[in-house]
Amino acid sequence: MNQQPIVQFKHTTKIIGRKTIVNDLNFDVLAGEVFGFLGPNGAGKTTTIRMMVGLIKISRGDILINGHSIASQFEQAIRHVGGIVENPDLYKYLTGYQNLKHYARMDSGISKKRINEIVEHVGLKESIHNKVSSYSLGMRQRLGIAQALLHRPSLLILDEPTNGLDPAGIRKLRNNLKELAHQEGVAVFVSSHLLSEMQLMCDKIAVLQKGKLVSIENVQAFISKDSISRVYLEVEASQTELTKMLIADLNKTAIAGNGPNELWIQMNKDEVPELNKLLLDNGIRVLSIHVQERTLEDKFLEMMGEEK
Amino acid sequence: MIGLISNEMMKIVNRKLTWIILFLLIAITAGSFVMNKLTEEPVSDWRAEQSELIERYQGQLEIDELSPQMYADTENKLQIANYRLEKDIAPVSENPWSALLRFSGLIEMVIIFAIVIAADVVSREYTSGTIKLLLIRPHSRAKILFSKYISVAVFALCMLAIVFVTGYGVSAMFYGFGNLGTKDLFLNAGGEVTEMNVFLQTVKMYGLSFLPILSYVTLSFAISTILRNSALAVGISLFIMIVGNSIIEATSRISWLKYLPFANSDISLYIFHLPARPEMTLSFSLTVLAVYIAVFAGLSWMVFKKRDTA
Repeated sequence: MNQQPIVQFKHTTKIIGRKTIVNDLNFDVLAGEVFGFLGPNGAGKTTTIRMMVGLIKISRGDILINGHSIASQFEQAIRHVGGIVENPDLYKYLTGYQNLKHYARMDSGISKKRINEIVEHVGLKESIHNKVSSYSLGMRQRLGIAQALLHRPSLLILDEPTNGLDPAGIRKLRNNLKELAHQEGVAVFVSSHLLSEMQLMCDKIAVLQKGKLVSIENVQAFISKDSISRVYLEVEASQTELTKMLIADLNKTAIAGNGPNELWIQMNKDEVPELNKLLLDNGIRVLSIHVQERTLEDKFLEMMGEEK
Repeated sequence: MIGLISNEMMKIVNRKLTWIILFLLIAITAGSFVMNKLTEEPVSDWRAEQSELIERYQGQLEIDELSPQMYADTENKLQIANYRLEKDIAPVSENPWSALLRFSGLIEMVIIFAIVIAADVVSREYTSGTIKLLLIRPHSRAKILFSKYISVAVFALCMLAIVFVTGYGVSAMFYGFGNLGTKDLFLNAGGEVTEMNVFLQTVKMYGLSFLPILSYVTLSFAISTILRNSALAVGISLFIMIVGNSIIEATSRISWLKYLPFANSDISLYIFHLPARPEMTLSFSLTVLAVYIAVFAGLSWMVFKKRDTA
């Protein structure tokens, strides 16, 4: 996999009035990765995306795309970018095909064949000659993705791309994005609130809070880092008191769970074998041990909670 | 650039509003010429008619309340009628060119419709959110704005041509196709009665009227770009146009008003020798309009280039 940086944030800062909306971002987005951009409302995600595509000026610092500054070499930089900013706002009074033709004309060397190919790819062949005003949100989302991919960009920026898609559509989009990144080496930059979706889709996660980058990591490392999981334990009803005492020896507290013979303990996943051995050695009949994996959502909310 | 302009033309042509406007344009133009034909009275003896007209004009000139504009107009007509009788030159028989010359008011309709189209072309991209996907393409903002401006200008030119062709077509049904060599009496820039080619006068009036049309288009376009609000752009432009018509009168009294676009935006005043002030000439008016066009276009460019697109 080609791992050269496609996007380079260099001390990127946006100040509006006296308020710092985005504060000194420094990170790279590499070719061939799906990059998730998280943050609560008002963290500056959309502002960052708008700076990346040159819709708003950068107050301090710069953003390089394929080595070209979006501020001073706009046309060379934006040539490699495809995207949807916020909603897929297309011309409703034109047909889907006219919309694509419109964007194709703004780029050099996009053939009719390419347009048809992309229409087929996003599954809009049946309705491409209907007016966009008759499209559902999901269809507009797909048309938006079609216009973003038309010129084979090396950076694809998608803001809330799963908005309005049905479960099958979301799954297909997820697979498409992964394929684009992993097979064709496109850098895919996705911002979303759907944390479970981001967990499935992204290779790397960056978290923005109050305009500052608070974390950037591979998605698995991000979730499991210094993570305390919940371990659910089921034992013979008569042995629960004994079990509690044994666990107390490990300096942990077992708390009664939902079932009559269920307990749960806060502990690291790698301590589970030790616990298991202890229980077996003391003749406890363990019916089940189950580690509840933490999700991106847990981690994200925990992180936001800490900051507050 | 050609691609950008054809995109903008596509967006104009695919709107319902455009077709409503084109329909109204043709219907009103055709209707005016038909009404004119219906109310026309046949002339049996042109000399008797001219004498009658002279008497009527002289009567009008004695009324005090006549506005300066009306006064000058009546004086001009009187001068031509006298000249006719003196030199024994019959008025030209009805022909499409003379009819078109009489309907200079249709050009104001083109201005109104052009204002409406121009008011929408930038602000609509903002209200529908499409501006975002439009600006993230490998084209400078200047080129995108300019392609929109050119498209509106081309569309306005088409409307002017449609009025001309429709007017000619309807008149041709009544009066025949007309003769390109037909001459009639006009007053020249010096105020002397002169024989001039009617067809060339018509072409001159409609052709040069493109500049006033363009100046209102530019005004409306600039307001719509700066305020991102098409209703305001239409409102302000129409208000200025209507107020402007009454300012033509005031210009004869207050000299600096001649540097405002209003008194300069009616080309027919020069065809019929009715300048708002004696020192104003056709080329003066065209220069003033060109300056305003450049200023408005420059303003919209400066604002559009710098703005953060939220």
